[in-house]
Amino acid sequence: MKRRVVMLEAAAGPLYWVILGSSLWVLLRGHNEPGGGFIGGLLAVSASILWAVSHGSGAARRRLPLKDPLRLAAAGVLLAGFSGLPAWLGGQPYLTHLWGKLPLGFMEYKVSTVLLFDLGVYACVWGALAGYALALLELDEGPPEEERR
Amino acid sequence: MAQANTGQGIGRVERLLFTALPLSALCLVLWKLARLELPLSASLSWVPALGIDLAFHIDGLSALMLLMISAVGTAVFLYAGGYMAGHSGQRRLFVLLSLFMLAMIGTVTADHLLVLFLFWEATSVLSFLLVGFDYHKSGSRRSAQQALLITGAGGLALLAGFLLLGQAAGTYRIREIIEVVPQLEQGGRLTAALLLILVGAFTKSAQFPFHFWLPNAMAAPTPVSAYLHSATMVKLGVYLLARLDPAFGEWPLWELLLKGAGSITAAWGMILALRERDLKRILAWSTVATLGTLVTLVGMRGEGASVAVGSLLLAHALYKAPLFFVAGNIDHGTGTRVIDRLGNLRHSMPWTAAVALLAGASMAGMPLSFGYIVKDVIVEAKSAGEVFAFAKAANTIFGAVAVAVAGVAAVRVFWRHPGVNESCEAREGSLSMILPPLALALSGITLGVFPFFAQGLIAGAAGAMVPVPREILLGITLEFGPTLASLALSYAIGLGVYISWDWLHERFDAAVQRIDRLGMAAHFERLLRGIPRAAAASTRFVQSGSLPAYVALAIGTLSLLLALVMALGWSSFAVPALGGIPGPAVLGACALIAAGALASLFQKDRLALLLSAGLVGYGSGVLFLFSGAPDVAYTQFTVETVFVIVAASILLVLRRSGRLSSLPEARWRPAALALAAAFGAVIMLLLFVASTGPFDPALSDYFSETSLPQAFGRNVVNVILVDFRALDTLGEITVVLLSFLAALPLLALRRAGRERKAEAE
Repeated sequence: MKRRVVMLEAAAGPLYWVILGSSLWVLLRGHNEPGGGFIGGLLAVSASILWAVSHGSGAARRRLPLKDPLRLAAAGVLLAGFSGLPAWLGGQPYLTHLWGKLPLGFMEYKVSTVLLFDLGVYACVWGALAGYALALLELDEGPPEEERR
Repeated sequence: MAQANTGQGIGRVERLLFTALPLSALCLVLWKLARLELPLSASLSWVPALGIDLAFHIDGLSALMLLMISAVGTAVFLYAGGYMAGHSGQRRLFVLLSLFMLAMIGTVTADHLLVLFLFWEATSVLSFLLVGFDYHKSGSRRSAQQALLITGAGGLALLAGFLLLGQAAGTYRIREIIEVVPQLEQGGRLTAALLLILVGAFTKSAQFPFHFWLPNAMAAPTPVSAYLHSATMVKLGVYLLARLDPAFGEWPLWELLLKGAGSITAAWGMILALRERDLKRILAWSTVATLGTLVTLVGMRGEGASVAVGSLLLAHALYKAPLFFVAGNIDHGTGTRVIDRLGNLRHSMPWTAAVALLAGASMAGMPLSFGYIVKDVIVEAKSAGEVFAFAKAANTIFGAVAVAVAGVAAVRVFWRHPGVNESCEAREGSLSMILPPLALALSGITLGVFPFFAQGLIAGAAGAMVPVPREILLGITLEFGPTLASLALSYAIGLGVYISWDWLHERFDAAVQRIDRLGMAAHFERLLRGIPRAAAASTRFVQSGSLPAYVALAIGTLSLLLALVMALGWSSFAVPALGGIPGPAVLGACALIAAGALASLFQKDRLALLLSAGLVGYGSGVLFLFSGAPDVAYTQFTVETVFVIVAASILLVLRRSGRLSSLPEARWRPAALALAAAFGAVIMLLLFVASTGPFDPALSDYFSETSLPQAFGRNVVNVILVDFRALDTLGEITVVLLSFLAALPLLALRRAGRERKAEAE
């Protein structure tokens, strides 16, 4: 981070959340409309990259859930793996998905282990690809802030 | 337990708990034997789709092996408690030994070829870990590597052999195989299976020409050597041969190879024993020779040979394990195992001397020991069956040098000998280092006096190889005849060898040194050194370090292969008809792609080149969007964006470090043009061929029909990803995670290098 670009920094603040929000929206609607965990995860990666370009890779990394790309990706794989367990414990083949309905008063939201699985894919893609991108972007930056002082 | 946590050895309670494992196994085996409950069978479905069951069957042969595994195991576990007292790796040793024992039990009880193979490989891996127990010594590491490479390569051959055998026999159950195979024609497939299985068994049991790894495995701690490399694991090869003997016993090839390799190993092993000065290595070579004799006996026909296999297996475990313990005690008490520096130890180590005498008597085949009975049985078997002269000579050498080796291990180091007679400092080990070998050696003598105790056991073991119609009789035969004459001959020669040990040693050492270069061990070493050299040479050849060369190589190979495939499977293709003028969106996308491609041709600046190449990606995205694949389009857009940003940032780094300008670019490259044109032409042809054939809509129809009713989703792509093929997706995201995990160190390295450079400046 050689120079601060004020406009980029200012724009990144709201944009980050807008991209993340849309990535979640893409993830959630994925089962019926175009979208899903992979695409949602990729969108989230672009949010992280935006933050890395504007505020530095370290800051973008700290903004990730679990504070660490590797941990995020690993948690994603675990989550996807676990989503298949309930059916297996119930005697059905592993990764048979279960569905339930969550009444919200004004509408019914369908909850399922599919969503857990897709969330796992989302987290894995976000973690791993953001990890790659941040590490590569880091090459362009100087030493971390702590050492510069 | 506080002591345990610091890694300084383990407490008494834990040691006892570990020792309870083999002890309970021993009690169980003895109980089952005493109640005559054999054979036992059990089966557990494991991979039903492949017909693999965890099938186990315990017959007489398995029971004999189990008895050795648990009895010697108990002794080894007790002994290790004293021998390794205070050693920081004691717990590791006990854990590995326990795992090893379980693997052994699995191997000798498995009734399914693949299950047997699984346990067999486990013993190889555990042997590697145990030989390399002192991993800080480079010698240990090399020996462990050698043992693993040889037994591991043998294991691969074994697997191939098992698969061939199972396919040919139509079953993988060992009990069924030995009934089916004799009725089959002796065709090429069975011969290949036979040879491969022999390679596996010979590597495991250190048969010529794979004999050299076993003495090197003596780098392991003594309890390990006593357990793995004399009493149990190295006998697995013999066990497997004995197990399959009913299947292949009538084959001339089987008989020839077993007798040939076994006899060579028996004689050569004993001659090599004469070369050694290290007590443990002397014992190791005599183990190799014993294994050779066992293999020879398996190869012989008749029930006498089968009885001999069973008795020699048992006798060897009962005398060789105590002798290894003796070597361990001497090492522990004096700090050396070199026989020149040892002598007169009977005063300082009386109990060890007693053990050595008892075990040595059995090894030499003295009357009133179990070894005597075994020798008797072997001589009878060999005079009964037709044996070629070489096997007889090998047996004589084996018997004679066994007497001499027993003399060295039991007499020479404890009494005076005609060499240097330093009276070295020595102290007797603790009780746990004396009792286990004493118990084993005493059982050897007990069985020698009362052989009928072992009768049922050995008859049962022999019954696995040949049907034993009548009750066999082991007895102390003192009749004069070929047996006693042969024994007397081996005693006499053995005594001569013992007396002239040092003289023979010098001669043999000098002689064998001359042919060392040609030996298998030397070839093996050369092979090991050659592999990295060949790898380096091929790497230097292929990896030129030039990115354009790599790209040209990859694209050129791909074009060639595709063209080849299409030329070989030349199917009809037609230029698809243009179905009218496509819509403006598709036309626009095509224009975008063309513009990006053309622009990238004329860009000299790499950043601009990257951006124009990005246009191609966006154009493809638009094309997808309007061709009914919005998911793919989304992904394409996002990937393209991320890629361009990251690649641009790397380009910027390179530009600042001044490396960009170092690559001169030619303006005009005819070769590159030809390659690009060829690749484009091949891909276009491929598309034509692909779109000519009839489209099979079975899968897409199935998914579009079942997506909503069965998986409650309208987006078929997503439903396939997360539901129908969820396991594939799980695998894919695992790969994504693993690739990141693998790339992390590389990326960190790059960063660390930059930081160091920045500091230096």
